[in-house]
Amino acid sequence: MDSRVVSKAQLPELLDKLARDYILVAPVHEEETVTLFKKVSGANEVQLDYTNSDVSPKGCLFPQTEKTISYTYTGDTLDMKEAAEPPKTALFGVRPCDIKSILALDPVFEGKFLDSYYLDKRKNTVIIGLSCSKVLSTCFCTAFNSGPCDGSGADLMFTELGDKYYVEVNTDKGSSLVEAYSQFFGKQDTEQLAKAKEEQAKKLEGQFTRKVDLEGVKQVLDENFELPYWDKVFKKCLGCGICTFVCPTCHCFDIFDYVTGEVSGDRFRCWDSCMFPDFTLMAGGHNPRPSKKERVRNRFMHKLKYHLDRYNLEGCVGCGRCISKCPVNIDITQIIKDLKEVGQNA
Amino acid sequence: MHNPSPLTPYPATVTKIVDETGDVKTFTVEFDDPEVMENFGNKPGQVAQLSVFGEGEATISITSAPTRGKFLEFSVRRVGRLTNVLHQIEVGQKIGVRGPYGNWFPYDKMKGKDLFFIGGGIALAPIRSLIDFALSDQYRKDFGKVEILYGARSYMDLCFKHDLFERWPKCPNTQVYTTLDRPEEGWDGHVGFVPNYVEEVNPSPKNKVAIICGPPIMIKFTLAAMEKLKFNDEQIITTLEMKMKCGIGKCGRCNIGSKYVCVDGPVFNLAQLKQLPPEF
Amino acid sequence: MLDAIRKLREQAKKLLEEKKVEMVIGFGEGTELARTTPVFITSPEEVSALTWGPFCANNLVKYLTDYRNLQGNVAVVVKGCDSRSVNRLLTDNQIDRDKVVVLGVPCPGQLDWHLVAATVNPAAKLKGISDDGESFTVKTDAGDYKFDKKESMLHKCLVCENPNPIVSDMTVGKEQPVKNYENRFAEVTALEQLGTEEKSKYWDKQFSRCLRCYACRNVCTVCTCRTCVFDQMQPMWVSKRNNLSENTSFHLIRAFHVAGRCVDCGECDRVCPVDIPLRKLNQKILKDLGDLFDTPTPGSKADLTSPLGEFATGDPEEFM
Repeated sequence: MDSRVVSKAQLPELLDKLARDYILVAPVHEEETVTLFKKVSGANEVQLDYTNSDVSPKGCLFPQTEKTISYTYTGDTLDMKEAAEPPKTALFGVRPCDIKSILALDPVFEGKFLDSYYLDKRKNTVIIGLSCSKVLSTCFCTAFNSGPCDGSGADLMFTELGDKYYVEVNTDKGSSLVEAYSQFFGKQDTEQLAKAKEEQAKKLEGQFTRKVDLEGVKQVLDENFELPYWDKVFKKCLGCGICTFVCPTCHCFDIFDYVTGEVSGDRFRCWDSCMFPDFTLMAGGHNPRPSKKERVRNRFMHKLKYHLDRYNLEGCVGCGRCISKCPVNIDITQIIKDLKEVGQNA
Repeated sequence: MHNPSPLTPYPATVTKIVDETGDVKTFTVEFDDPEVMENFGNKPGQVAQLSVFGEGEATISITSAPTRGKFLEFSVRRVGRLTNVLHQIEVGQKIGVRGPYGNWFPYDKMKGKDLFFIGGGIALAPIRSLIDFALSDQYRKDFGKVEILYGARSYMDLCFKHDLFERWPKCPNTQVYTTLDRPEEGWDGHVGFVPNYVEEVNPSPKNKVAIICGPPIMIKFTLAAMEKLKFNDEQIITTLEMKMKCGIGKCGRCNIGSKYVCVDGPVFNLAQLKQLPPEF
Repeated sequence: MLDAIRKLREQAKKLLEEKKVEMVIGFGEGTELARTTPVFITSPEEVSALTWGPFCANNLVKYLTDYRNLQGNVAVVVKGCDSRSVNRLLTDNQIDRDKVVVLGVPCPGQLDWHLVAATVNPAAKLKGISDDGESFTVKTDAGDYKFDKKESMLHKCLVCENPNPIVSDMTVGKEQPVKNYENRFAEVTALEQLGTEEKSKYWDKQFSRCLRCYACRNVCTVCTCRTCVFDQMQPMWVSKRNNLSENTSFHLIRAFHVAGRCVDCGECDRVCPVDIPLRKLNQKILKDLGDLFDTPTPGSKADLTSPLGEFATGDPEEFM
């Protein structure tokens, strides 16, 4: 693996250049308490000192609302227009958990039916990760063989070390970017910095307070669909979509038409939530997941079992957003702990 | 290179509409570009997404067999928002079709066997593709005796009357049993519920596959009857209906456990169904 | 506070033992030091799960409609602000007063848990909390942390009208002093000073980041419609597209739907994952209703009907 170094003083200039040549999407302080990934026009808008964005950057590849076709139908002629090829995008400042989540989303949108909407964006997006400098009380990425400085999945991984960024060049896409902006990427002291990064990673890993052990949890779920335990969890659920919308690995969507004129309209797909009753409600009135109990179970089964069954990849990356945002403190790490206990008592 | 969009439908035109019952219509649909049909490759049991532009999409099973011709047939019951709009469509109108989606009836494994179809109400539609496939000139020799047992609440509610009373009975080595839930003036056929009729007909499980589709209550009692008749779980095949949006295993709503009905289904045998959580 | 917790558990235990209620809905220890979680207790042995203190922001009255068809009665732990919800649900005939036992808890104010979590050592274990008048002291095994009330309480608590429950069958804990506020609507007044364009810019910025997760609606005790207008497919009043226009429609329709019924419990504001200041929207309506109809906050009295739900000859009619 190749590595480089970028001086902190030069980062703004690099970001400005990226913003000119790419669509640059980066963390932005929307409000004092809200950080979101947004398109920026330059370095001055980018927020480097953030712990975790309130909503994951998955929207850069899988937007909350996305037009799939535009059509005009006059009664005689039907004309459909597909989305144009997405622009070259640089997604900067992505934390390790969110990078990992993109790896979890890839196989969903790949497979027999290639999802052009996602895959075209994925292809045209260079992912520039940024190691964490702080661990939140809700963080638990270490449970999923990741860590605060884990850059696997990123094209380039930046780690802040003193007045420099140590940059790991992980892919060809990353190395082309380094080449194109070579004036910013030095080669000095990289070995030393690599060591410093490892030390930083170790130090931060020691700061995790949530000890999450997944051993045996999937087995419990494999063997038990009905568990009295679920009765305990679902009662407090409000049935809102927070957990699914802030989740970096949730990928459910709805498709619907929106009429724009007498003979024209657009078809959209937009994020949907398995927590909503109408998610599975059929036209005739039958609902296979009629109550909060089934819906809550389905969400956790999806994260801890179904995603693994289908793609052999974890469906959760330990970003902790659902823990932090759930209004009633439904906590996936508690559920993991409890399920483990259920398994041990069985 | 730009990937082709999996959610863009092919333009198609409705060429024929048959009123099956008070709330079921069968639409014959032809693609505007004949090449699309050449490459469509639908197999009996698969589904497609029908678009009414400005309204949205609905998942409908393809009720015609590929052996029938260069068209697709969809039987649609008026139950919700989109199917309501579909029912207002007229011949000549353009719709969108994308698919085919899902798995199909394992007809390769049924070769050389007798087929016993059991359907109730609108649910003859998803298995009709296989009936027509098995009865086609091309494939008839691949299967043994074909029996079709079908019931509905009343004569009015029987779908595919032309098939039931004209077309299928004339096919070689084929028998059609039709029943109505209640007696009705002018009906001299069988009266009684489907599960009871199955027991009366008393099919032997020997070298036979049963293909069942119907409302949940009919399925429940029919499965009990099949058990009595000593059919094993691998011999019983059904097709499921779930709310679907994408049809391509991505939008997440049609899962039963780890399986997506749109790609891993809709066809399951009873042994497979018993492996799934009871969430359908 | 420890005393209140002990008494709360005693009362809950008694209610369950004597079979006066089938379930007690209260606050239990959460998974974060500064959080609690709703608990649903059905046996006397479980009452030790109940807790109480300045980390109990949730309005548990929300759950009463979930259990209104339970055969037995339900007891619910209710703060002053939450008690307005009880009145409101009664006025709307959503719950049966005879089937609800209100365990009132006088409230010293609620801390913003995110703020506490950002200060306290994440590995620390909570040992207790004391109310020192102007501040709370959060005592942990990693040391004590002092939180100034003015700086760390939820905004709604800074202008609390009802620190003591208005509806209560048994009150647990020490009565809290009721304060008078110069301007309860200071935040709204500040917004009102802005010009039309600035106001529009302000709200556009807020609404454009809405995720449409509907947490504000789902947590709202006043939202009791069987099928919400936003879930309706036929006709689809607001589409699922996430953009400023649809998001604005959602929030404004919602604000008007709860106008005159919103009890100002502030839950919508608290739960919003992207911190949209929804309470300001509801407070503006509350303020106008007060100015126009001289009506108190909905729910602050039993059988208080909404001025928007009835006609009185004295109503202002400057639009006619």
